[in-house]
Amino acid sequence: MNIHPITLEVVRNSFVAYSEEMATALCRSAHNMMIYEVRDFCCGLVDINGELISQNSGGLPIFLADLGVAVKDGIERYGLDGFAPGDVIIMNHAEVCGQHLNNIVIYTPCFHEGELIAFAANRAHWVDIGGSRVGFGSYDSFEIFQEGLQFRSLKIYDAGVRNDAIWQIIFDNLRFPESSLGDLRAQIAACNIAERRLGELYQRYDPATISACISKVWEQSEAAAREVVTEIPDGVYEAEGCLDNDGVVIEKPLVIKVKVTIKGSNMTIDYTGTNPQVRSPLNSGSGGSAAARIAFKALTLPNAPVNEGCFRPLELISPPGTILNAKPPAAIGLWSVALPTVIDLILKSLATALPDRIPAAHKGDMGGCSFYGYRKEDGSRFLLMNIMGGGWGGRPAGDGESASMSICQGDVRNAPVEVQEMNYPVVITCHRLRTDSGGSGEYAGGLGVEIRYRCLQDTAVNVNFDRTVDAPWGLHGGLPGAVNEAVIYRIDGSEERVLKQTNIQLIAGDEVSFFTGGGGGYGDPKNRNEAAIMKDFNNGLISAKVVESEYGLELVGSTA
Amino acid sequence: MHSVGVDIGGTFTDLVGIRDGIIYIEKASTVVDDPTKGVANCVEGVDISLADIDQFQHGSTIAINTVLERKGAVTALVATEGFRDVYAIGRSNRPEGFNLDFSRPQPLIQRELSFEVPERLNAGGEVLTALDEAATLALGKKLNTLGVDAVAICLLHSYANPAHEIKVGEIIQSVCPDIFVTLSSSILREYREYERTSTTALNAYVGPRVSNYLDRLDGYLTAGGFSGNKQIMRSNGGTMSMDQARRQPVAMMESGPVAGMIGAGHLAKLLGFDQCIGFDMGGTTAKSSMFRDGEAAVHEEYFIGGYASGQPMQIPVVDIIEIGSGGGSIAWCDNQGSLHVGPQSSGADPGPACYGKGGEDPVITDADLILGRLNAGRFLSGKMPLDPKLSERAIKKVVADPLGLSLIDAALGITKIADTAMSLSVRAVSVARGSDPRDCAMIAFGGAGPLHALAIARDISIPTVVIPRFPGNFSALGMLMAPWRQDLIQTFVAELAHVNEDEASVIMEGLRDLGLQQLVAEDLSPDEASFMFAADLRYVGQEYAISVPFESVKDLADGGSQAIRSDFDELHNVRYGHAAPSERIQVAKIRLTVSLTRDGEAAMEWLSMPYEAEDPQPDGEREVYFDSVEEPLSARIVWRPGLSPGSKVAGPAVIEEPNSTTLLFPGDVAIVSEHGHLIVSVGNTLDEQGA
Repeated sequence: MNIHPITLEVVRNSFVAYSEEMATALCRSAHNMMIYEVRDFCCGLVDINGELISQNSGGLPIFLADLGVAVKDGIERYGLDGFAPGDVIIMNHAEVCGQHLNNIVIYTPCFHEGELIAFAANRAHWVDIGGSRVGFGSYDSFEIFQEGLQFRSLKIYDAGVRNDAIWQIIFDNLRFPESSLGDLRAQIAACNIAERRLGELYQRYDPATISACISKVWEQSEAAAREVVTEIPDGVYEAEGCLDNDGVVIEKPLVIKVKVTIKGSNMTIDYTGTNPQVRSPLNSGSGGSAAARIAFKALTLPNAPVNEGCFRPLELISPPGTILNAKPPAAIGLWSVALPTVIDLILKSLATALPDRIPAAHKGDMGGCSFYGYRKEDGSRFLLMNIMGGGWGGRPAGDGESASMSICQGDVRNAPVEVQEMNYPVVITCHRLRTDSGGSGEYAGGLGVEIRYRCLQDTAVNVNFDRTVDAPWGLHGGLPGAVNEAVIYRIDGSEERVLKQTNIQLIAGDEVSFFTGGGGGYGDPKNRNEAAIMKDFNNGLISAKVVESEYGLELVGSTA
Repeated sequence: MHSVGVDIGGTFTDLVGIRDGIIYIEKASTVVDDPTKGVANCVEGVDISLADIDQFQHGSTIAINTVLERKGAVTALVATEGFRDVYAIGRSNRPEGFNLDFSRPQPLIQRELSFEVPERLNAGGEVLTALDEAATLALGKKLNTLGVDAVAICLLHSYANPAHEIKVGEIIQSVCPDIFVTLSSSILREYREYERTSTTALNAYVGPRVSNYLDRLDGYLTAGGFSGNKQIMRSNGGTMSMDQARRQPVAMMESGPVAGMIGAGHLAKLLGFDQCIGFDMGGTTAKSSMFRDGEAAVHEEYFIGGYASGQPMQIPVVDIIEIGSGGGSIAWCDNQGSLHVGPQSSGADPGPACYGKGGEDPVITDADLILGRLNAGRFLSGKMPLDPKLSERAIKKVVADPLGLSLIDAALGITKIADTAMSLSVRAVSVARGSDPRDCAMIAFGGAGPLHALAIARDISIPTVVIPRFPGNFSALGMLMAPWRQDLIQTFVAELAHVNEDEASVIMEGLRDLGLQQLVAEDLSPDEASFMFAADLRYVGQEYAISVPFESVKDLADGGSQAIRSDFDELHNVRYGHAAPSERIQVAKIRLTVSLTRDGEAAMEWLSMPYEAEDPQPDGEREVYFDSVEEPLSARIVWRPGLSPGSKVAGPAVIEEPNSTTLLFPGDVAIVSEHGHLIVSVGNTLDEQGA
């Protein structure tokens, strides 16, 4: 079909705008910070074959064109003629979706003149899904059945009629049911908005034209991505790195192996040799795919809208039974923890092929902490969650940014100190940049941060930093950044450095400091511009010691 | 009564005056080095005496440009011990999620000029650690030696209790009398330390330069004998005194774009449109804003320089959606053969290809010219003749040839893509407030607004479009209609119906006192001012809140809160498509808007004055392309100033006037209202056309 180029642009822009509109509505009326601050959601339109037409831009990078899998399962279950206007489907099944069970997909079928035309879908992180896990970082589940409720393509509304039994099950099994049901309502409302917009579009253009436009948009995205891949020299590129451990067997690091093959306009990412799945929740079903897609998107079309076509030049080899493609009934509660490292390794493998584009490593973990317990005034349950940024690696043409969210987290925002103190029994005693945490280099790595909490009552904390051993690497002679660390300062004067630990008990006056990692340096520190070194020194980002020992600059009149 | 409004933009300085019901207009080039000169040139151009003016209203881009161009003062920051890096750390987010080359907001204050003082409050405003006054004094003395021109002071939880900030400010000012000091609590009383710090830093950073500028302007006015009231346009849609603008220049960041929207709101009220969209298309951007009963929404989440890496500013700004589509937006093709328009603009120099100043890029204005929609000889009253041959060459080279389209098809494509982008953004601004464009009227202005308004209205089924008089100068006019306005907002977190009446009363009285003080300070009469309270409400667990008006503290307390509760549920449902009447509601903030419509209301009166046309000029005829590539339609060309009230013009037609052009599609019918505004009923919207 011959499409007029102008019609194509109108349809393309409209689909993107609809996804954005869904996202705005969801974000603004959601009931938990995982959605409105952490932006742990995605919204999109999916065609009747389960392929992604468009997706919003501001959500979590980790959700890349992965709504389709959830919808496909429903299509298989009900058949294309098994949907009716007013249906709402809920889905989080671990084996199909491969993500932790908090990530709830809601979708609705959209009709035009009685014909099913597409699905409006979104995924959002509910603050709780029942089971043994509270907040981030719990390492004590060993199989999926401990991790909460599973819904496999269930109609929570059937032709507009609510299934009260499912609703009741949710209400009775979750720790914060008002919050999650509020999110559920917001998710459904977001789908309804997209349904209305699609109706308007299909009134204007005939379905065949719109379908042709969608295919064309995919083709163009694919072509644009291929063009970038073609510029990478053909070859086989490899990298290997480690996560600290699985949280159970502390002394054993987990190996991640990445092999990237470039052939013409095709890229293959192969995880063969990566650590077998573990007895802790540090596995995922779809994490390998998410990591590959994020790396691919960052390399090809970082600022273009996401659709199915973007990833056609990418092939994935992710052998089953590894931590990145675990077999049931693996626990997958911490499904995303490995991904920043996996992505950094994919980039690292290409560092020599693309010296002008690949930065040194960033802090390499997700940076979350959670405090929870029961308020001593009234016994009510509280759960404080915060996400911290860290340093990014030095870049081919500039320093790495400091205090920034991981490559998996995009537009995630940390929780303001004032909001945390207003809502939870803690006092935060500092929030600052970590001097000297960035790796030295011609272009320096960015700095990590320190945030220190003092408990005002009995409180439990989960610490789930990773990459506390294997530092964010430098490139081309740059030095590594500082590793992630957490330290508990007990009121009795004792101090302990903690790695992955769940449910650590604290009493009033105990303090915990979280130090996030710094980025690696890019290029030999000896080549760094002297003015830049002195600026960092004067701003207190690096100490006199680093100036002299790593940059080899003598500080005149220095007391160092 | 004689009022004058002056709007200084990037390219032009616009003046609109109204003397005893007679309007006059002038335009002069902006003088970047000394903006007061541009004002003086305007004043000379219209031959008025400053001594005769009663009221001078002013808006300027000086504050926002100082930030965007990084030309502000050497500024220091004073924070609570342990927290000087709050400003650099920010919220740590990366809106461009996949971009390895992302940039985070660059602080306006260097870390080496960021300092801490020992002190600490908790979220209730209680003192955990007393302020170390000796350390503060030592810091003040140190600042004196560092060549600092301005200081931003932002301490944790100062929204709940500003006492420490006030003391720190006093101590520092006592040893540094010439430094421009800004306390966060004097700008905003709301939680979120990063956004508050950023807002405070913005104020301090632009403070010295803006005060200096205002001093010069003031000097010019006084030297000319002016002794009337001087008001500065602010981003919340109201004005403030020049003295307040010297202390709170951050409030005038968006003064220009907002002014036109205020004018549109008044016109909507006059014409009886309860739901109305203001649409302003200029040279580089198109802006839209939604009004209910003539009032625009005001938000406190704004980023100077864009969301991805801009500086957050947490004070009220009229809710305007702005996109990069203006008359000068450049059309270009990517490698996959997709045509794009904007966001880059050709600006004033070199400008569109047809200006003949050497511009090689085709822009929207070039496309409009090729399609016969613009009159090459009448652009800016004929002061700037356009050359269609240059437009043709640029469009062919950049768009038509690479895409294999005819010249006309390419030109239509450029306008169509721009119109679609603007339609989506106009719709976004209406649906975001729960309005359906089909129930709205649109008021279109700005140099290019009337040319594209009808295409957009058809696209999203807006039934009525209004083109006001002087659409090309409407922003300066809107300035004259802005009321004096203060938005006083304070964080107050409590569960609705369980609000402690005494605590809430203390906050309400505190806000009222602040408003009264400001009125008295400016010799304004509190009796004539309106005091409107609202509470920002949300369901427990939500973050974003919706403002709901209330009158007395009883409306928030047990027994009296049913009305505000149901208002909130309804607004939530309208805006987000769902509500939860059984859920608990939390109050997040209490806000008070004090406003005062000043004497005269000259501009508003002018809007509704009977209109008398000039002598009519004979109609012309021209071939104009509308939707079809196949053949142009023969369109009637009408000179607007010659149209008397009651005149009807049916599309296809082009209505021309000195600073703007209105394009009517076939089926559109424009009627000149008794006040001289064009009221267009939009014919043949896409809904009616079918597929």
